[in-house]
Amino acid sequence: MTPLHDLTIGKIRDGLRAKKFSALEIAQAFFEYIKDKDPEIGAYLSLRETEAAREAEATDLALAKGEALGPLAGVPMAVKDNMLVVGGPATAASRILEHYVSAYDATVIAKLKAAGAVILGKTNLDEFAMGSSTENSAFQVTKNPHDPTRVAGGSSGGSAAAVAANMAVAALGSDTGGSIRQPAALCGVVGMKPTYGTVSRSGIIAMASSLDQVGPFAKTVEDAAIVFDVIRGIDPLDATSVDQIYGTDLLRPKLENVKKLTVGLPEEYFIDGLDPEVAGAVEQAVKQLESLGVKFKKISLPHTKYALSCYYIIMPAEVSSNLARFDGIRYARLPGIDDTEKSADRSALLHAYLKQKGLGYGPETKRRVILGTFVLSSGYYDAYYEKAQRVRTLIKQDFDLAFRNVDVVLTPVTPTPAFKIGEKTDDPLAMYLSDIFTIPVNLAGLPGISIPVRPKKGLPVGFQLIGQHFREADILGLGQYYDKITSA
Amino acid sequence: MSSPIDKAALEHLAELARLELAPAEEAKLLKDLTNILAYFEELKTLDTSNVKPMAGGTFLRNAFREDTERENTNRGAGIEAFPEEKDGYLRIPPVFE
Repeated sequence: MTPLHDLTIGKIRDGLRAKKFSALEIAQAFFEYIKDKDPEIGAYLSLRETEAAREAEATDLALAKGEALGPLAGVPMAVKDNMLVVGGPATAASRILEHYVSAYDATVIAKLKAAGAVILGKTNLDEFAMGSSTENSAFQVTKNPHDPTRVAGGSSGGSAAAVAANMAVAALGSDTGGSIRQPAALCGVVGMKPTYGTVSRSGIIAMASSLDQVGPFAKTVEDAAIVFDVIRGIDPLDATSVDQIYGTDLLRPKLENVKKLTVGLPEEYFIDGLDPEVAGAVEQAVKQLESLGVKFKKISLPHTKYALSCYYIIMPAEVSSNLARFDGIRYARLPGIDDTEKSADRSALLHAYLKQKGLGYGPETKRRVILGTFVLSSGYYDAYYEKAQRVRTLIKQDFDLAFRNVDVVLTPVTPTPAFKIGEKTDDPLAMYLSDIFTIPVNLAGLPGISIPVRPKKGLPVGFQLIGQHFREADILGLGQYYDKITSA
Repeated sequence: MSSPIDKAALEHLAELARLELAPAEEAKLLKDLTNILAYFEELKTLDTSNVKPMAGGTFLRNAFREDTERENTNRGAGIEAFPEEKDGYLRIPPVFE
């Protein structure tokens, strides 16, 4: 059988058709490998062996009957554990949801299943997708497959590490401020955050609703495009989803069109604090893309430096409101808390809330809920929350102006390669700074992709391509040709 | 600049958010929040008086669905997913005392 590390969506499709292997054989090989490899990585929180076997058999049956195969037929995939897969857990890596059982499939999951995907299991994340290293998980720390003493990035660190360690062919993550692109860069895989509104958020445990978006991880840009094409589309269950028509260039970009793209290099992203290894790798990617015939232009996004403050006001505000539902009464409860206990100044109900949330939430979750409650509170709302919303407009306008002169923007994804486990856990501000290059993209609602620079010795480094709204085809097209010239 | 969050304010916010904090957690949170709010001070240097606030992920208009009958969430699955039930009813801690 074909080695697992070599499999792509296209190779699986061809192999199934040529009867080189069955979908069930592939699924079983992946589970065998995961059981051997994952104890040292910690990418998965739960596995779906029985259900995945059934999903694989459905593909084998369709193939035997000569029926048409879906675009992800037999493809072993991993899913971040903040998405609902009916009948299984969706912990969001939080104690408070440890015993929750998903009541339905998220829209993206229903779409994966309809396309024939085999969902291997649920992957680790920072609690409620809040973090940049997957160290905030209540259950385990995911290690970087390139160096197990370093973080996998976050918050979708489990999905990134699963793909990087060949424990899945592709995966889903969610990205609120960089949670797909940053771990993709640190683990050396492809990760894309689509345009806000392109992919349904129904059935995803909401973090910050004006910023959250679901997207793919894969080993190649082509595979990321295929998964994106499956999960995108308007959904009546998500009122912010948009009916957008994409052309054939999304999956089959033409070199003559890709060559005509003008790429902007924003001076504010190539700063003194940038790690020399990252700067060198991104420069290498620029030269490789130039060899395709792509034109580069220097641009300015003057409000970039305000993005971090803006994000760390808007995001916790939305978090404090979205997480109110996880109160230890609905969804799941922590066992062993007496719900009849009360005191002179606290009713039994208040007592139960305080205990359930106090014990059920980790430190970063508490920090953001408190911060969000503060910036929305009377007397501070205008100075923080409304101010941040105005700054958000300025950040979006920066991109609007830049896109009058360029089609795509190229930046680093992270200021440094993967950092050591434990290095930033005591200093939240230092941790927040690892997202400075990805956050503006969420604030402006744009699509962004992280692509590993190749060839690269040592730790992986990614470069980011940012496209105009609904122009995923530009960044995926450029990325597909980057893959072609660098994988030869 | 003095931090707008002191110990009493933090305890009030925690009560509003229904979060019980241990004394050690309070001390760490106060320190972190003071640093984070000091970082936000940079926003004050920006004049935003003529800028419209961006209230959502886009500037798009509200999306409305047709006001028609539609199937509800499956009742059985909803009850099964709830932590405790009795005879098809959801069991919660006492609300009225």
